Amino acid sequence: MDACLAVEKEIDRVLSKFGDINGNAGRILSDLVSHIERIKAELENAPEDHTLTNVQLDILKQCMGKVKETVSRLTTDHRDLHSTVSKVGKAIDRNFVADFSATSREEVFASPEKINLINKVICQHLYRQGMQDVADTLVTDADIAPEIHNKEPFTELNHILDSLKNKDLEPALAWATAHRDALEAQNSSLEFKLHRLKFIELLKQGASHQTDAISYARIHFRKFVLRHEKDIQTLMGMLLYVPNGIGSSPYSCLLDSEMWLEIYELFTHDACQLLGISVNSPLGTCINAGCAAIPALLNIKQVMMQRQVTGIWNGKDELPIEIDLGNEGRYHSMFACPILRQQSTQNNPPMRLICGHVISRDALNKLCNGNKMKCPYCPIEQSPADARLIYF
Amino acid sequence: MADLKSLEHPTLKVPYEILNKKFRTAQKTLDREASHVQQAAREIEETISSGNVKAKDITSLLGGMVEKLQVLKRKAEESISEELAASNVCKRRLEHLKERDTLTSTGTISHGAANQWKRKRLDRMMVEYFLRNGYYNAAITLAERSDIKDLTNIDIFLTSREVEKSLANHETQKCLLWCHDNKSKLRKLKSNMEFNLRIQEFVELIRTDNRMGAIKHARKHFSSFEEEHLTTIQQVMALLAFPVSTEISPYKALFDESRWDTLIEEFRQENYRLFQLASQSVFTVALQAGLSALKTPYPLTPLIYIYILCICYSENSENRNPACPVCQPCLNQLAEPLPFAHCSQSRLYCHISGLPLNENNLPMMLPNGYIYGEQALEQMAKENNGQIICPKTKEIFPFKKVEKVYVM
Repeated sequence: MDACLAVEKEIDRVLSKFGDINGNAGRILSDLVSHIERIKAELENAPEDHTLTNVQLDILKQCMGKVKETVSRLTTDHRDLHSTVSKVGKAIDRNFVADFSATSREEVFASPEKINLINKVICQHLYRQGMQDVADTLVTDADIAPEIHNKEPFTELNHILDSLKNKDLEPALAWATAHRDALEAQNSSLEFKLHRLKFIELLKQGASHQTDAISYARIHFRKFVLRHEKDIQTLMGMLLYVPNGIGSSPYSCLLDSEMWLEIYELFTHDACQLLGISVNSPLGTCINAGCAAIPALLNIKQVMMQRQVTGIWNGKDELPIEIDLGNEGRYHSMFACPILRQQSTQNNPPMRLICGHVISRDALNKLCNGNKMKCPYCPIEQSPADARLIYF
Repeated sequence: MADLKSLEHPTLKVPYEILNKKFRTAQKTLDREASHVQQAAREIEETISSGNVKAKDITSLLGGMVEKLQVLKRKAEESISEELAASNVCKRRLEHLKERDTLTSTGTISHGAANQWKRKRLDRMMVEYFLRNGYYNAAITLAERSDIKDLTNIDIFLTSREVEKSLANHETQKCLLWCHDNKSKLRKLKSNMEFNLRIQEFVELIRTDNRMGAIKHARKHFSSFEEEHLTTIQQVMALLAFPVSTEISPYKALFDESRWDTLIEEFRQENYRLFQLASQSVFTVALQAGLSALKTPYPLTPLIYIYILCICYSENSENRNPACPVCQPCLNQLAEPLPFAHCSQSRLYCHISGLPLNENNLPMMLPNGYIYGEQALEQMAKENNGQIICPKTKEIFPFKKVEKVYVM
């Protein structure tokens, strides 16, 4: 934020100064022009062979002096703005990191196969986002083989999501009804929430539609009574306030447009889960993770350079620090040996001792004393052969 | 917030460089037009001081003066409004960047809006990636589709596309023009672009066997580079003595057609440097970092001892998590050579429920060595008559045989 503000301060200064000079230049130049034109007109009115009087000569001299001075002031004024302009550049350099690529290896993604893979990933992402036209252009531009089967589920979903954006519930409702059993199996309340929104929309239209709303409720809410009794009671409560306007009632929060955003997210989430695809675009997740990771990586790189230990991180096997991506960014279990503080690998897998504690195999081997060992966490003595390999 | 600082330098720096360039040209135009006015003023003064001045002469001189002043005025307005436009681009981009910050710090605005911003950022990054790889049409379509034309550096890439095209057609004109346009900047960057173009022209003249023309060309252009590049010039001049079909090493390479591709590549790099763009796109840098941060050396399955593919998932592994980006086949291949995430504290998740394993959901081991969460196993036992089916190996065990595991 500070960074943006610092740059903004400078750019605002540039804008105001250029604005000033723009107005100024226009004004003084047109003043000059009209001044000269007055003199000219005066001289034109003079008789054909008139020689200029001394007074006229003086006026002309003064006028020329003024022209020269104004014009040269204009150019110097403009030149003086250079420092203001270059301050913007300095502010950008000071507040933003120019060399963000210090942490990555350029050659990794340079080969044509890798570029092709990246393009494929982008293409899939674009289809997911419903930007079919962009994806198609990319396919021709980058000359990649289009994978048609990837489009199908997304075309339907994107159509539904588009209509949700336009506050049209019908396609989503049709989809939810068609997939009712599968949705119920994953404990989704999508269908109910769609019906609820439909009901609220009916009520929004005022008292004239309340009978419609009630009959809608009778038809559709019955099957949800078991799971959503409380919600249905709330919805029925809304009916009390229809004549006086729900907006001023305790139920006003249900009229918020936030409900539409919520149903949008809910639909995306549940539909993706049902189809076995990730909720967020994989590319989006990666890039967001990357954007979160880069500042930390740049910091550690800088510290390493200062201490002259850059060699420790060759950028090949493991990142030097842990990147906190929150719970959302974790998809697999990770086991770090509590003794060696190392992540387990296939050569150093986790082992469960008979007392139930888990350490890595390397740690186990180090703790061995002959064919006996003591658990580092509890007093049980055991044979290392009893430890068993486990899989997370 | 820190990600703005680390990643958005080019977003702001490029429009700044454009502003700076606009400022210089504006200054040049103003100086030129002003000197014309000064010249006219001097002329009038001379006429006046020569004495016995006719009104007729003076009025025509004054008319010329007015014209010149008007030209100056028009030019000044034009150039300053261009400068203002360039600064406004900076300003708009700042506004966009600031949107991200206010959203997170106030916290009142919904999660959706922040996600929206991130999606826009991804679109911006993709546009830049497309441009760098020469997928101009895709870049333009995407920019229009997401309405981010102002936020991306399409314009400078489109100019460079023209130059690249002409170089690909073995023409040097446009590139030389570009060199001329950015002369002072290129000199500061110690660019060899123009020199290399001149050499290429020389080589092409010899290729067409116009050796006299080549000598003339060399006389005209090489002399200004002799201080820095004398040895190269000497070597290139020696070409005059060889036939085009020569097999002798440095000279054969000079005749190679692929030198044009090198020139294109060099031009791209110089153009990046001119606008202070890094040699890699933000997109690939972020993708690398992101894949690394998400990549786990885990999980280990018996299969993995056979297939040496130890990241996240291999084709036959039952550990694939559909939500994990690195588990997607293409991204998985991309992630392969990258380092994996650092982890000093175990983080365990139940494969069945996806919930974290902790004191509320203890990790439990089946007799086959696989670990799942207590809650999911209890649930499964309840539904299955006390039987547990390992989701990965499909083996069946009684719930009684499940054992506790303590992970520190």
